[in-house]
Amino acid sequence: MRDYFIHTLRFVLFLFTQALIFNHLEIGLGIHIMIYPLFILLLPYNLNIFASMIISFALGFGIDTISDTYGLHASAATLIAFLRPTIFKFFEPRDGYDENQEMNIYEMDSRWLLSVFGLMLLVHHLWFFSLELFKFNEIGYILKKTFLSVPMSLIVCILIQIIFIKNPKDARSK
Amino acid sequence: MRDLFAFFRKFRVFLFFVALQVFALSTYFTYLSFPRSQYLTSASEINGKILKVSYEVTKHFNLSQNNTLLQQENIALRKQLPQSFMALQSGNVLINDTLHKQRYEYIPATVIKSTFNHRNNYFTLNIGSVEGVERDMGVFTDNGIVGIIHNVSAHFSVVKSVLTEAINIDVMVESTGAFGMLKWDGKDARIGSITGISNDIKVKKWSKVVTRGGSGIFPRGLPVGKISNLKPVEGKPLWDISLLYSEDYRKIQRVYVAKNIMKDEQLKLESLIPIDKE
Repeated sequence: MRDYFIHTLRFVLFLFTQALIFNHLEIGLGIHIMIYPLFILLLPYNLNIFASMIISFALGFGIDTISDTYGLHASAATLIAFLRPTIFKFFEPRDGYDENQEMNIYEMDSRWLLSVFGLMLLVHHLWFFSLELFKFNEIGYILKKTFLSVPMSLIVCILIQIIFIKNPKDARSK
Repeated sequence: MRDLFAFFRKFRVFLFFVALQVFALSTYFTYLSFPRSQYLTSASEINGKILKVSYEVTKHFNLSQNNTLLQQENIALRKQLPQSFMALQSGNVLINDTLHKQRYEYIPATVIKSTFNHRNNYFTLNIGSVEGVERDMGVFTDNGIVGIIHNVSAHFSVVKSVLTEAINIDVMVESTGAFGMLKWDGKDARIGSITGISNDIKVKKWSKVVTRGGSGIFPRGLPVGKISNLKPVEGKPLWDISLLYSEDYRKIQRVYVAKNIMKDEQLKLESLIPIDKE
């Protein structure tokens, strides 16, 4: 029950922060920070893939309706929800995943997080910018936007986790 | 038949994924050419209200700049007031003559949402069909044109801005009258381009570009920008012209919507032209 509440709250928060703040944060050089892939990463590990695709689609479509992108975010979010189990399986640690663990910065080691989440962000951003520009002769600009935006999104997402997610080790030591 | 079911079961995740993608992408690509509904865009009631709340928070960010702009506009208007003129001949009276007839009406509006770093940027205005906004009306500010109304609901409307790929507003170089189409390459919010000007026409750098008013969306002579760079297109007798917009679309707030009273008349007349058969 508590999990449902947390994920619903996160859904709403990610939707509005992305649509009202990060979609307007225009840094220049074509950088576009997108943080909602973090929500898809933090969904429960054993969640049914249909459920995660529907939730991601709804999140993306919610962002689309507010920022007038009509299906771009929905398409990109569904893509990473679809690829999520495959990526998890590919980077599976030697002793497997814990049933109830969350894929956040405290539970997983940093190398795993960087490779899995970095790959998810890369796929997401590349898909998003390719669809947005949608011209073969703009491929240089698409790649430039992708490779400048991915590190920024990654840094912001790591900061969000450090600031807003409680470290379980801290709680135990107290 | 059983094979078919087995196929569906085996690929059900992928098929579901494809179905969602088809839905999302068809909405995306059809919206660019024509808005099917206003309910899932920022012109809808709920999203309009959310954006209004967000605008209430951020509207004071550029306050001092906007005040200066309004003041400058006030000065320009004040200059035209009767008080600012000295009578050269006593006994002059103002006659409401019949030489000029009102052609455009203007509706003031506020931009409550705008972006400039997407490939196609749409702005949301706080007025809608209740205030008399209709599809295909022109939107402009004191400094330059902004775009064309794309989608209208009761209290909000969405503008297809000049920062869109297929905006195609007809503009002309003010000094020579050579005209072309306004385009945007999706990179820099300050720079647009003009296509369709033949390169045997002499065009000077930094000459002023204004609207041509041909399609009746904008009045003739609204500022658009200045030519910042020009070179001939390879293999075609055309200029490739870069244009520095005179309006900064990154901090746009107050706009006017131009309503052409005689648009129906013009369209009716133009529809009588026979279509070329080749």
